[in-house]
Amino acid sequence: MNFVAVEQIQKSFGQQTVLDRVSLQLKKGEFATLLGQSGCGKSTLLRAIAGLVDVDGGRIFIDGREITHEEPRKRKVGMVFQSYALFPNMTVEENIAFGLKMKKDRDAESKVRRMIELVHLNGKEKAYPHQLSGGQQQRVALARSLVVEPKVLLLDEPLGALDAKIRHNLQNELKRIQRELMMTTVFVTHDREEAMRLSDTVHIMHEGRIVQSGAPQDVYASPRNAFVAEFIGNYNVMSAEQFARMAGGEVPSASQVAIRPEVICMEPSEAEPQPPGDAWSFRGKVCDITMMGNVLRYEVTTDGPNLLVDQLHRNQAMLPPGTPVRLSVARSELILYP
Amino acid sequence: MKRRMGMHHFITGIMLVYLLLPLLATLLFALASKWSVTLLPESFTLRWFAELFQDKRFFLAMGRTVLIIVLSVALGIAVMVPTVFIVSVYFPRSERFLQAVAMLPFGIPPVVAAVGLLRMYAGGPLPLAGTPWILIFTYFVATLPFMYQGIRNSLRTVNAIELVHAAELLGANKWTAFRKVVLPGIAPGILVAVLLSVAMLFGEFALANLLVGGRFETLQIYLYQKINKSGHLGSAIVVTYYLLIVLITWALLKTGKSGHLSRR
Amino acid sequence: MKKSNHRRQYPLLLMLPFVLLVAGFELGPLLAMIKGSFLSDDGGRVTLEQYVTVFQSKYYVQGIRNSVMISLFSAGISIVVALFAAYSITRYSGKTRDRLLMIANMTSNFEGIPLSFSYIILLGNNGLFTMLFARWGWDVLAGFNLYSWTGLVLVYVYFQIPLAMLLVYPAFYGIQKEWREAASLLGATSFHFWRHIGVPVLLPSAAGTFSILFANAMGAYATAYALVGSNYNLISLQIASLVASDVALRPNLGSALGVLLASIMIATMLLNERLLRQWRRDLR
Repeated sequence: MNFVAVEQIQKSFGQQTVLDRVSLQLKKGEFATLLGQSGCGKSTLLRAIAGLVDVDGGRIFIDGREITHEEPRKRKVGMVFQSYALFPNMTVEENIAFGLKMKKDRDAESKVRRMIELVHLNGKEKAYPHQLSGGQQQRVALARSLVVEPKVLLLDEPLGALDAKIRHNLQNELKRIQRELMMTTVFVTHDREEAMRLSDTVHIMHEGRIVQSGAPQDVYASPRNAFVAEFIGNYNVMSAEQFARMAGGEVPSASQVAIRPEVICMEPSEAEPQPPGDAWSFRGKVCDITMMGNVLRYEVTTDGPNLLVDQLHRNQAMLPPGTPVRLSVARSELILYP
Repeated sequence: MKRRMGMHHFITGIMLVYLLLPLLATLLFALASKWSVTLLPESFTLRWFAELFQDKRFFLAMGRTVLIIVLSVALGIAVMVPTVFIVSVYFPRSERFLQAVAMLPFGIPPVVAAVGLLRMYAGGPLPLAGTPWILIFTYFVATLPFMYQGIRNSLRTVNAIELVHAAELLGANKWTAFRKVVLPGIAPGILVAVLLSVAMLFGEFALANLLVGGRFETLQIYLYQKINKSGHLGSAIVVTYYLLIVLITWALLKTGKSGHLSRR
Repeated sequence: MKKSNHRRQYPLLLMLPFVLLVAGFELGPLLAMIKGSFLSDDGGRVTLEQYVTVFQSKYYVQGIRNSVMISLFSAGISIVVALFAAYSITRYSGKTRDRLLMIANMTSNFEGIPLSFSYIILLGNNGLFTMLFARWGWDVLAGFNLYSWTGLVLVYVYFQIPLAMLLVYPAFYGIQKEWREAASLLGATSFHFWRHIGVPVLLPSAAGTFSILFANAMGAYATAYALVGSNYNLISLQIASLVASDVALRPNLGSALGVLLASIMIATMLLNERLLRQWRRDLR
């Protein structure tokens, strides 16, 4: 049974279609991410679920109930904004308690205290938003949305305004809290690493449509089309002709080929190559190398297009630009698009 | 949100009626030959305006007002432009003090100012009260906030201090730098300050009445005298005066738009 | 260094006119007024008798009370109306909004003698509306006297509303859209939002504007003079008649009243600040 169901949502702003018959399902407790570039419609879809944007067509259900045209405040949905949106005239405590106050909840005090513990903000109860750091403010925003026990939690690029280290910590915090509360969550981001770290399911959006949905590892390993391949990783995407020029053979029934940089075996061509059976094998020359910490990323010229080749940074020496190399790719690792 | 706009239209509508009604009524009154108990004037005429523009006293009052305003504003520019510039460049730490002194007139009601001014200048060694001079100097003080704000903001906008330093590095002295580089840049800001001051001074009655009274009849004093005589004539004067203000404000808005960088 | 001292003398000299004018026509008169308030009528002795006279006189105390009441009421009404009107203006897009602001700007300049005059011809004893309504049998204006307390408040409100609108409307842009959205998702209606978040955030601007309106009304002279002349007891009119009329002049008493007027304005401003910090503890 789907806890959240979005059916054929349609939304246009003037002449521009922003959401084109989008459908989406979430199970209870699932962490789903809407991943895409700016303008793909992911924020609009999120806001449609929240009720902050009216849809032109389609239906939205939460926990079996249709909420398509309901006011935001009746939907039992929580939302965390990129700009935190904390009420500046209230303390941390008062911000968190606000939703409970609206419900006239008698248990407010203890609930607020528990929530402050959960997000690790002890000691900051009486502080005002302008006295807190970005990471702290975002935790208050999270606490504020969660304390009213919403059915669904929506997050609109919540970590976008924070710097890398804090973002990393908060990502972990977020995941921990979501697991602990079993909160059904929809997360919007343009950062693919973030999406893959946090989600149970990733939905890739492009020009108002969902182009692929699935578990992160599945979407990464099996991108459905060239667009997803180029978006989800550093795939080498080329036409069939380019592949033929490079590897010296035809690929049956495909117009495009995608190859992950980490599945390409590369060795300096002086060494006698032992390519694995059933593999495409061809030569090239190292043209550039980027040291990315634990990964060495080579750019290699071939008889076809330039290839990106990733190798784990073990004790081997880095191959300098100009080194002739032998490359091989197992047939099973080629992704073919008709 | 669309349903809410209805309420906003309603509020805006009422406000517009409330604010524009007296203006409209005065205009109609100035154009009416007779209007006592009907919704609209019984008949229209231009004779009140004709009477006004044939009244020698009107032109004299207008002339005096214009003269005073020109002299006060000219004095304001002549004194404040160098002063604000000098403080910004040579005595930046005294800027706060200058600001306090310049903004103070906003907080002093004209009657309060008149008390002290009459004490000092009614009789005694410097009997300026009753002459136009006291009015010119007092008006200078009254427009200080506009002059100071306008000039200071302009200097900031054009980064006057950096410009002067750059010019000096290229061999100019401060005076040349000021004249050739800074002055043209702050001209729009000065114009805005001038227009604001002029609009304010045209409407100024309290100081004129208390400090010089009938001995130097300005436009507002003339208006006050005429009110009691005839409602229609008074309306004509009010309409003329107000058209003048509207013109000045319109010029202000135009200058404001072109004098600054485009705003979002 | 010698060089910079010499360099500084020239500019200092250029500032002399400014110094003289400010001393002679801004600061000097203020000091003269304060000094005069502590002198006896003949200027001979230093004394508090002017202030004593004011506070012992029913007449002057009433004048102070009238001024304060009228200023409080007109400022209060104006700020409330202006808040609603300013909010409505911010809901319009660029061009319409600019035109509305322009109208507000222009009507805020319509004050003093011309304004009172307009109201006299509309609502005075022989005013247009007065006669019109009487003819139509509408009683609403029957008991209305323009030349009274209520009339003064009405006229003051007319020019205070546009002024307040111009001062207060920028504050609405400080209210973030996300706050409304977050509040709405947390269960707040529009009313709750304004009550708990919107109004508190607007409060500093509104309070500051109220101060300005109050001070403006307390010091208003031209509007009152044209409307009621000497027939109504207002502190600004009293001061004027004590220092500049043709009747018996008592400039030192006028000085005392002037000092009191300025003091009331300053006290209100300080009180305002204090109350604001109570309400918005986050601003401390």
